[in-house]
Amino acid sequence: MSFPNPATSVKLVLLGEAAVGKSSLVLRFVSNDFQENKEPTIGAAFLTQKCTIGSKVIKYEIWDTAGQERFASLAPMYYRNAQAAIVVYDVTKPASFIRARHWVKELHEQASKDITIALVGNKYDLVEQDSPEDEENNMRKVSVEEGQNLADEEGILFFESSAKSGYNVNDIFIGIGSKIPESKVASSAPGGQGSSNTEGRIDLTSNAANNNRSGGGECAC
Amino acid sequence: MAFLDSIRERAVSTLNQVLDRKPNRGLSPQEVFCREYNLPNGEVILHDTLAEVSIVSDNSKIGYKDLGPIAQGKVYITEHFLVFRDNYDRLNCSFTLHLSAVKKVERSQTSNYDFTLTITTHSKLNIVLSLVGLRNNSERFGQVLKITLKKNLANIKKLQPFIQTCYSEYLLAKNHVSNEKIEHMPNGGLGLVFKFPGNPREQRDKSKMKLWFDLFRADGRNLSLIKTPMFYKLIRVGLPNRLRGEIWELCCGSMYLRLDNQDEYHLILEANKNKKSLAVDEIEKDLNRSLPEYAAYQSVEGISRLRNVLTAYSWKNPEIGYCQAMNIVVAALLIYMSEEQAFWLLNLLVDRIVPGYYSKTMYGTLLDQKVFESLVQSCMPLLWDHITKNDIQLSVVSLPWFLSLYLSSMPLVFAFRILDVFFLQGPKTLFQVALAILKINGEALLQSEDDGSFISIIKTYFHELDQSAHPTSPNPKYKSITKFQELLVTAFKEFSNITEDTIENHRYKHRDGIFQNISTFVRRTELRNLPKTNNIDSDTLSIIYDRFYSIVQADVTVGTGSNFMDFKSFRQFMAETCDWVQPNINNDKRQDVFLNHLFAQWDSEGQRLITLADLVVGLNKLIDPDLMTSMSNFFQLYDYKNSGKLDRECILQVSEDLLNITNPWKDGILLDQITETAIENAVADEVYKAQASNKEEDKGEGEDEDDKHVTTTSTTTNNHIKLPSEVNIDKEKFAALQSQRYLQAASTFIQRAFEYAQPEEEEILIKDLAIDNTIAHNAALNPNSPVFLNLPTFRMVILADETYELFFSHTLRNSIHLDKPLDSKFDTMRNLKGMFDGLLADGIKVANKVRQRMDSAASSALNPIANSDASSSRSAKSRIQEDEEEERDDDLGVISIDEDILMSQETQGVDGGHSENGKPPPPTSKTTTSSSAGSASNLIEFDLL
Repeated sequence: MSFPNPATSVKLVLLGEAAVGKSSLVLRFVSNDFQENKEPTIGAAFLTQKCTIGSKVIKYEIWDTAGQERFASLAPMYYRNAQAAIVVYDVTKPASFIRARHWVKELHEQASKDITIALVGNKYDLVEQDSPEDEENNMRKVSVEEGQNLADEEGILFFESSAKSGYNVNDIFIGIGSKIPESKVASSAPGGQGSSNTEGRIDLTSNAANNNRSGGGECAC
Repeated sequence: MAFLDSIRERAVSTLNQVLDRKPNRGLSPQEVFCREYNLPNGEVILHDTLAEVSIVSDNSKIGYKDLGPIAQGKVYITEHFLVFRDNYDRLNCSFTLHLSAVKKVERSQTSNYDFTLTITTHSKLNIVLSLVGLRNNSERFGQVLKITLKKNLANIKKLQPFIQTCYSEYLLAKNHVSNEKIEHMPNGGLGLVFKFPGNPREQRDKSKMKLWFDLFRADGRNLSLIKTPMFYKLIRVGLPNRLRGEIWELCCGSMYLRLDNQDEYHLILEANKNKKSLAVDEIEKDLNRSLPEYAAYQSVEGISRLRNVLTAYSWKNPEIGYCQAMNIVVAALLIYMSEEQAFWLLNLLVDRIVPGYYSKTMYGTLLDQKVFESLVQSCMPLLWDHITKNDIQLSVVSLPWFLSLYLSSMPLVFAFRILDVFFLQGPKTLFQVALAILKINGEALLQSEDDGSFISIIKTYFHELDQSAHPTSPNPKYKSITKFQELLVTAFKEFSNITEDTIENHRYKHRDGIFQNISTFVRRTELRNLPKTNNIDSDTLSIIYDRFYSIVQADVTVGTGSNFMDFKSFRQFMAETCDWVQPNINNDKRQDVFLNHLFAQWDSEGQRLITLADLVVGLNKLIDPDLMTSMSNFFQLYDYKNSGKLDRECILQVSEDLLNITNPWKDGILLDQITETAIENAVADEVYKAQASNKEEDKGEGEDEDDKHVTTTSTTTNNHIKLPSEVNIDKEKFAALQSQRYLQAASTFIQRAFEYAQPEEEEILIKDLAIDNTIAHNAALNPNSPVFLNLPTFRMVILADETYELFFSHTLRNSIHLDKPLDSKFDTMRNLKGMFDGLLADGIKVANKVRQRMDSAASSALNPIANSDASSSRSAKSRIQEDEEEERDDDLGVISIDEDILMSQETQGVDGGHSENGKPPPPTSKTTTSSSAGSASNLIEFDLL
């Protein structure tokens, strides 16, 4: 249990409105780079990056999805079996925050039961110059409190970040890595399949206690 | 004849379209024909005949002069085209000749059996058609052609301006081999200014250009081109940069749209200048992110062209609007085409070539991914097994290939080569290339065990497309074959068995499954994102959702139709669900006043359109079960300014609307609970009388049977109350009484409202509200003194009237049937007879009432004092309670009460009788026993009978 296991994979999906900076967050995390005019993601992009948290090493398999609303019908294909999700909004765009709220709801309803979700308000660099006196002309349109409240209501992680400056980007992935249930990280099966098996096992064993033991035995394989 | 035929065929084709909404399947023969020859939709075959074709071009060197007939086949006349295809091999010879390009038709009669037409085109090409077949059919063909050409005369004027926009014409004119005068180089792609991608020398652009130059001279061009094997060959080797745009639009047929709709593009742009929309916002976000590495898209010129085409399309087809990936496709098109060319090509691409790819639900994309997966499964079973075993998400790799036509996956020069074939051969090209990619990389892919390595193999492959496919081969010829060439050969040779039909069949097979998934997803998402509604449960929401979309006639799966309801649709929705809305629009204008009012209040954006969310929020308020909330919600409907008070106008409006929406009760079409209870009582009285007379005949056990607790078994005959199948009740009387009550309520309302309305700032005293029926002259009715009705007063006025109180607590809510299934024949009882029958059918209530009468008579005989105590205490109970008995007995008329019901009745105690329905207690029949007089006097104020 305690030795570092370099093969621990975590499937992570990024969701959020178009042009909030999902791909940029990934690019920053994976290549520590930033591009001003990044082409929109068509369907989804796939990248991987390793991340060391204390003694454990997590290999993130990142599914970066298209943000435009009509691509939402493709999303279930990508968040299937995901163990973690980052729901991104743009702190200067209130509509993107509403969309983020919808995504969190959808994940809670449709994704794996114990998925670890982080809510991220991106483009922090745009609001750094905001002054507290002059609220009218400030770039920020979604307050820290609003973000934090939503995260608290839904019991998920919350960050504000800037893919452009790099602010807080690694912290998101470290935060997720530390919160992911130990049992999941310890599972040696690669990718999402391991997670769904684990899930099934937990459910069925609790049922098996009521019925008979052979039920639990069957699903261990 | 031909004219009538054409009308008939049009009608049939329209009908087919309507009947079979499944795209592509069940196309009419006409539509199939249009698609096969890339004609605009709606072209109808007017006549056809067999013919031999020979071509005589004015260029004697390269032409076909004296070569004799080059093909035998069928020639068709449509309204705007002359279409020919070789009978044996379409690729050998075919043409689609626009009639506007026909300069002259001559009939030459060399022999009696020969019927020959020589058609001269604007490009000075002579097409000689020797008609084969019966003489009169040939004659007929000649006539139809003549008539059709005449009809087309009006379109001829479009030809010259169009010719000016064709690079082919410019090319020939510049080289002095054409009679056309082309002064300026036509508008073309951004590549003309910002350079075309790739190295022109490597692409042998010049020699390709020369080959096309010769082809144009020999076989004609644009609207009058004869397609011969050379044509296809020149496309397969890759199009020269300057001609690429024109050949693309010629191959897919968007050229005809551009010809027919000259100016439309500019008119759309002009009409929508500076207008905003969601699509426009979305487009703006992506302008700087479309092929950003290409120089033109770092310039104002390039960005502006991209913006123009994308926004013009979003206005032209708002149901599609804008979908990410269209930006990449259009950015690519604009390198080779003018804005107008790109616009029309985009239209054809989205509507016909890849239908549903960019729609709001992207159903076409999802469907084609499924089709692709099943093709992989059947063509490469080993690889498919590997993919499924390792849970690799194939579509994450392949979806962008299809959606952005390889433009975002491959280096542009190669993607354009694929597009060359794609516009010629249609969507099967995308599948053939995709299968070839997997096939070529099959070995490596079988080694990959997760998405990551799978994706990276493909990525690397795309980057090496220009490298040798056989780098280690000693044969230099073999070695010089690039991976891209290998890809094309594999795609179009090995997968040539993947035809349009294959694709169509697979699409058809998977369509229902995909559509089901999408509609589930769309419904789930929309229902989840609706605001919270406490009074509407999720099942009912789901029915409201279905009804909403069925009324606005939107297909959520395909993503067509409106997401908004206009007043007419709203009215229909309310007519389907509310008893007090007549379905016939012209029936009652007064009723529409209230509906209009609701509509305006629920319309959150003030656009005279309401969303599903608006509707649900509004309905939720309208059916609030709490009396106080229900009244204040109603009040707020009229309190436009949210000031907490209604002025004179509003009060009048409220009273009028109340009067109008209660029409069905006033007219006796619907019965409220007060009337229902009264009728039940009347029936019960009759039954009781009948029972009582029976009992007297049964004297033997009579008097001793009072204690029902112990004698249930021995007195079975008495415990079974038989309702007569026919009870004589005066239906008209009850209806009239109810009508009177509603009229009274309305007039009382307005009197009291004005009586208690107050000038501003004045305190209202509760004691002033004591109900006084003798309102004579009221100062408040004087229009000169402004008065207001606030919420507490409004409530008082409503509560003071039993009928209106009941209206807000029950009647209104019970008359709205939001959970009524969409397809149900069930119509809320709209006629008087139905209502009475319904009451009778509900025999248990009546039977219970009879039982009460019997009990009451029995126990009062036993213990008159106790009984009168019980009835006075029960009268203090709240009159408004939920119905306890909703159970219906379909056994109309004949109801037997079994032991269980009796027992529970007994254990509820004596007062079970009066409170059982939560209605105003029945006016206990004064004639039955003297001891019930006490309770009757307590209740007399509710007794309206």
